[in-house]
Amino acid sequence: MSPHNRNQWIDWGLKLYILLSFAFIFAPIAASFVFSLNVDRFPSMPLGGFSTIWYEAVYADPLVWEGLRNTLVTGVVVSLTATAIGFGAAYTDFRYRFFGKPVYLALALLPPTIPVVILGLAMLAFLANIRLSGEIYSVIIAHVVMCAPFAMAIIRLRLSQMDPSLEAAAWNLGASEWMAMRHVIVPFCRPAIFAALFITMAVSFDEFAVAWFVSGLHETLPVKVLGFLQGQVSPRINVIGTFVFLVSMTLVVLAQLLLMKRSAAPKAAGKVE
Amino acid sequence: MRKSITLYGMTFSLPMAIWQVMFFLAPLVFLIALSFWSVKNFRMEPDFNPDNWTRVLGRAVFWQAYLRTVILSAVAAMVASVLAFPCSYGIAFKLSPTARRWAIFMMVIPFFTSYLVRVYSWQIFLSDNGIINAALARVGLGPFPMLNSDFGVMVGYLTLCFPLVVLLQLFSLIFVDRTLIEAAHNLQCGRLRTVFEVVMPSAKVGLVIAALFCFILTFGDFVSPLYLGGGDPPTLSILITDTTKSGQQWPRAAVIALTMIATLLCVAFAAVSYAYRERGR
Amino acid sequence: MSTEALVVFDGVIKKFGQFLAVERVDFEIRKGEFLAIMGSSGCGKTTTLRMLAGLEAPTEGEIRLAGKRINDLPTWQRDTPMVWQSLALFPFLTVRENVEFSLRMRKIEKAERQRRVDEWLERMQITEFADRNVAHLSGGQRQRVALARSLVTEPEILLLDEPLSALDAHLKVRMQTVLSNLQRELGITFVYVTHSQSEAFSMADRVVIMSRGRIEQIGNPQEIYRAPRTKFVAEFLGSSNIFSGQVTTAGNGMIRIATPAGEFDAVSGAAKALGKGDKATFVVSDDRIQLSNQRPETGNALRASVVGEEFVGATAVVHLENPAGGLELKAQKSHEELEHLDLSPGAQVWLSWRPEAAHILPGE
Repeated sequence: MSPHNRNQWIDWGLKLYILLSFAFIFAPIAASFVFSLNVDRFPSMPLGGFSTIWYEAVYADPLVWEGLRNTLVTGVVVSLTATAIGFGAAYTDFRYRFFGKPVYLALALLPPTIPVVILGLAMLAFLANIRLSGEIYSVIIAHVVMCAPFAMAIIRLRLSQMDPSLEAAAWNLGASEWMAMRHVIVPFCRPAIFAALFITMAVSFDEFAVAWFVSGLHETLPVKVLGFLQGQVSPRINVIGTFVFLVSMTLVVLAQLLLMKRSAAPKAAGKVE
Repeated sequence: MRKSITLYGMTFSLPMAIWQVMFFLAPLVFLIALSFWSVKNFRMEPDFNPDNWTRVLGRAVFWQAYLRTVILSAVAAMVASVLAFPCSYGIAFKLSPTARRWAIFMMVIPFFTSYLVRVYSWQIFLSDNGIINAALARVGLGPFPMLNSDFGVMVGYLTLCFPLVVLLQLFSLIFVDRTLIEAAHNLQCGRLRTVFEVVMPSAKVGLVIAALFCFILTFGDFVSPLYLGGGDPPTLSILITDTTKSGQQWPRAAVIALTMIATLLCVAFAAVSYAYRERGR
Repeated sequence: MSTEALVVFDGVIKKFGQFLAVERVDFEIRKGEFLAIMGSSGCGKTTTLRMLAGLEAPTEGEIRLAGKRINDLPTWQRDTPMVWQSLALFPFLTVRENVEFSLRMRKIEKAERQRRVDEWLERMQITEFADRNVAHLSGGQRQRVALARSLVTEPEILLLDEPLSALDAHLKVRMQTVLSNLQRELGITFVYVTHSQSEAFSMADRVVIMSRGRIEQIGNPQEIYRAPRTKFVAEFLGSSNIFSGQVTTAGNGMIRIATPAGEFDAVSGAAKALGKGDKATFVVSDDRIQLSNQRPETGNALRASVVGEEFVGATAVVHLENPAGGLELKAQKSHEELEHLDLSPGAQVWLSWRPEAAHILPGE
């Protein structure tokens, strides 16, 4: 729209509305950060005073450390597995046409649309039946199901930016399919692969519902938070929330930076040997 | 380019297929079988027993919960869509490209913050002696009970899906052909009418899909209705968690889950066919 | 250049499902020649090239390279490098790394790789860009990188798939010169696919013209230009004065053809076998047609009405039509020759040409 058709009042009104929307979204996040540094047990206004006692309480809690360890192990294994599987599926979709491809793609992409309670119940019942529930690897199995679609989507998007003749050009220059994969497809997808690693790790970090169903005694940190939520009011949730937020944001920002530098200097990305 | 299935192709395509068949499809199919199992002496036994179905579907509590869940999610979908539209419209049409990129980035952040922590935060805001009521008390108002009510549930639902609804609406609004808007103005269609008669129909698919996702997400959420809504009367997802964690009534939980899936499939099918229905032949 | 065949297409057919991309082609590519395959989009020229590169497998028939059947040889085991329409340079590699790629795939040792890459960077005059990102090069520079990358293994044959189509007119001509010189210096076989007549005719030793998956004519540019074999080729080369009819008399090296627009004489030339009653088609190139107000006394003549006039530099092309014969006609003349004529739309003029100017299409 050309500027002279604009109405300043409407424009400013809408911009104000956008700011209010962000206020609604970030108020709880900011509050949990602020109250994690507040001395009072029962949060209220005005603030009681600056203190790190809740950080100390969390730091001293062996259960939190155990939960964190479970979360980290799960996150790392899930992100590696989900990204590997997702990469394969993205490449399959990019390169091949075959009978039953819509079914294949549905299987690969549908899990995030199934409500987590249903997924959690189904996983719990199924894994218990084949005696795989109640362990860390139960959470890993479930999280890979949920995260692989995200990895696939991120890498598929990158592949769609690739000149389709690039792979054929590599074959034409004497690279076998495996060599072309190693020297052309993987280097081209490298930023997306790292982004997928970080994003899937962040998703796994925050997931509590399915983990709550299948983890049994091996609770991850978000499942512990769910436990705190059922118990008495405790600013420890704010501390853990702030911590998880900072970790997740670091991962997301890293992923974002990787996806942004599309055709970055080949020196950094392109040394294949 | 060769037609035959090669080891190379299988290496990349099979892991996803195997994993999702084993750990996604199989559990969902198992859920169907499980719903016919019977429970004797607190132990589940494979069976073909329609008892769970008749028991669950025969109880008034279940249908109250069903109705409540559907209504809450439908209201959430509408409220979120209406509240999100000015925001996504503003981001799509009133911001500079740089500001728009930042706004999109900010909208993605909530997906990577703990939903649980945000719900807990809302408890701090909404409780009877929480931040909002404390502020209102200073000017001599309140206290207004906001926690453990449907209002609390809505706040939680919006926390869950407002950013997603904005993003989905945004992505369809960005692709609305700007010349259509100019053409509408040129044909003497007013500012607001253009939004309703040109912009919204053009972005219909995105708007409907956004509402659908809001419905799906809230339909399966048990955190907001429990911790902000009080959990009484329960929603279907609260029923599932209660039934699952208290003893071995998994087959009944499976019945509830399958009813939910059936409902979601119907809603999704209706929404998608409405979204893609074309005018004329 | 010799007449020895390097590549033979022997009854090659390519189907994509039900779609017949290449109906049946039989031809040879000679060692050391610059062969252009020309046709409009969808004529099967690119598919033919891709079959030679091993990117598509022929449905039927045989392709032989240096006498050996290569139908089932995977593309990475053939030394048939290609320059792509999109160039397909690897965006995550530098110029040097792009050129080095095929040497690395062939496991050639490092010092030798270095030497050959340097040699080709030098030869293509891109040494100064060796460590640049390929995305930051100009169109012409990228073209040189693509050529160096394909030629660094010193193959016997180079395939080019419309490599110049993205360049502006000036650069296109410059790169044409680069390509022809390169081909002459190296003495290797170039197979060049294009839809552009000027590219094909200015560079190629021989041209293959394809239409709807079939070969319409093979020959050197002058031959094709002077003596198109079929109506398709004549139309493709832009001739518009095409007449079809039946032979009424034939003899003494002359032939008379009755068309809906009248009877015309032609020198029989290549079409000696035509006899009375046979169908025949001939073309008259637009610069050999005379225009006049009165009917000339000798030669073939035809009345037509003016459609319009188009200025092409020093000459003008007059567009005419003869509705009775269903003909669209063109005459190219200098401006002086047209001065005394009324060329307003709808005006009637006489076209004439000598019997020697009519070329009978042998393929019709």
